[in-house]
Amino acid sequence: MSHPHHAGLPAQAAAGAESGRGAGGLLRILGYPLALDRQYQPDTHMWVLPAGPGLVRIGMDALGIETSGTLAQLSFRAAGTGLAAGRPFGELEAAKFVGPLVSPVTGTLVTVNEAVAADPGLAEQDPFGAGWLIEAAVAGAAHDLPGLLADPDEITAWFAGKVEEYRLSGVIAQ
Amino acid sequence: MTSGRGAAAPATPASVGLLRVIDFGQVTPLRSQTLWHAVSYGVSGGQPATLSFARPSAPYVCVGYHRDLAEVDRDYCLAEGLPVYRRMVGGGPVYLDDGQLFFQICLPAAAVPVARLDALRLLLAPAVAAFRSAGVAARLDEDGEICAGDRKICGHGAGQIEDAVVVCGNLIERFDHERATRVLAVADPAQRAETLRLMRRYVAPTPVDAAAFQAAMTRAYAQALGLDAAPGKLTATEELCLADLDDRFTSADWLDGPRRASRQAARQVKVRAGVWTVAAQAGPAKVVASVVAGTVHRAWLTAPGLNGDTAAAERAVTGVPLPEVPGVLARFGEPGRQLAAAFAGADGKRI
Repeated sequence: MSHPHHAGLPAQAAAGAESGRGAGGLLRILGYPLALDRQYQPDTHMWVLPAGPGLVRIGMDALGIETSGTLAQLSFRAAGTGLAAGRPFGELEAAKFVGPLVSPVTGTLVTVNEAVAADPGLAEQDPFGAGWLIEAAVAGAAHDLPGLLADPDEITAWFAGKVEEYRLSGVIAQ
Repeated sequence: MTSGRGAAAPATPASVGLLRVIDFGQVTPLRSQTLWHAVSYGVSGGQPATLSFARPSAPYVCVGYHRDLAEVDRDYCLAEGLPVYRRMVGGGPVYLDDGQLFFQICLPAAAVPVARLDALRLLLAPAVAAFRSAGVAARLDEDGEICAGDRKICGHGAGQIEDAVVVCGNLIERFDHERATRVLAVADPAQRAETLRLMRRYVAPTPVDAAAFQAAMTRAYAQALGLDAAPGKLTATEELCLADLDDRFTSADWLDGPRRASRQAARQVKVRAGVWTVAAQAGPAKVVASVVAGTVHRAWLTAPGLNGDTAAAERAVTGVPLPEVPGVLARFGEPGRQLAAAFAGADGKRI
């Protein structure tokens, strides 16, 4: 999923002149915050952060949230539900569009962030922190999950490419 | 969201490049929902992109996938014989009747941009073209509503059902504003009256020829998607799925809706994007207000101690952007602070 214009460039170079490190250790890529301490599913903008032995925390990055529109509703499967990578663990509604929250991992849903379910605005305000969505138990190494971007340079290049793509198509402001 | 039954068989090579067009005609209220949901499962399973039309034979109420059933006045609906169903796409509770022709465009999810705002604009644009073709000066406004001037002329909702994306809308030939307001559970008389007033002001029918509109829709979607339109019908698998959906949509579990967190207590009603009413309370203070484009349009305030200042406070907040309301009310002392706390429950962005 790397953007061809950025593939292979170091993180800071790919991020461009507008980028830099912001509050809370977040990198700013073309105006959007990005956390490099986690893995990303590039098609769905879901991030995955190790949260303990066999446990990961899952959320959506700022770009994925912005291109969804203002979040009106979030609903989640119940704790204990099995998760399959590429299949829904809940639904998101924004701009009257109900779409799946697609799991980036295979495992079991352990915890739902009830705060974000009650106030979806949290995911917009703090997508990499308090706006996390669920925690899941996974098999294997939580820091190296299949199908996810893990290398910071690769993540940065992918993210910068997506910002450009969405700007060019008019989905986000120039 | 998953189907109770397997999806349709994969598309044949002949169906590639095809826009299947299904006119279901006048159907029962239940079928006016379940038919296009069955189509969505079919498209998810490999049937071609499909444009469908249906007109309900009788009035009913439909709530969006995530919405609380308590937003509907169930007693009134029961007394009036109005069924209530829950759809799998977004938006609020709506009143539907035979004065509205409903359309649905359904595509494989892989053919639609992942960015939902992008997808919505792309899939609503042909409908706008069809309205214009039918003689209505329609446009897609900055809020993503299909409007003529500042009045909404087409309700829409969208969703992904398994591996298909569906966008629904309507041609409103006639609109019963009063009943569309009455089916909503709105306890406060001032809020109800204001909602009706705004509904009349901001929701407009466009009584164009329905057949011409359908023809224009077919042309517009075929052209925009680069597909050849051809009349079609449900497959046998979609028919089976339809039977499942009929059962599902009439079950109490489905009507209750998905598991979701309880939300704040303010009663908010959206009339169109950017236009809404709210009734909220904080302690003894009570606010009823309408909001247009982020600014208080009208307000009815109640707070102990406000006494003779009630009218002054109502005038003071009128025309004020919502974020500035607490500052304006601060000059009314403790009652003003209580009213500001009630206003804090208003958040039209997430209705």
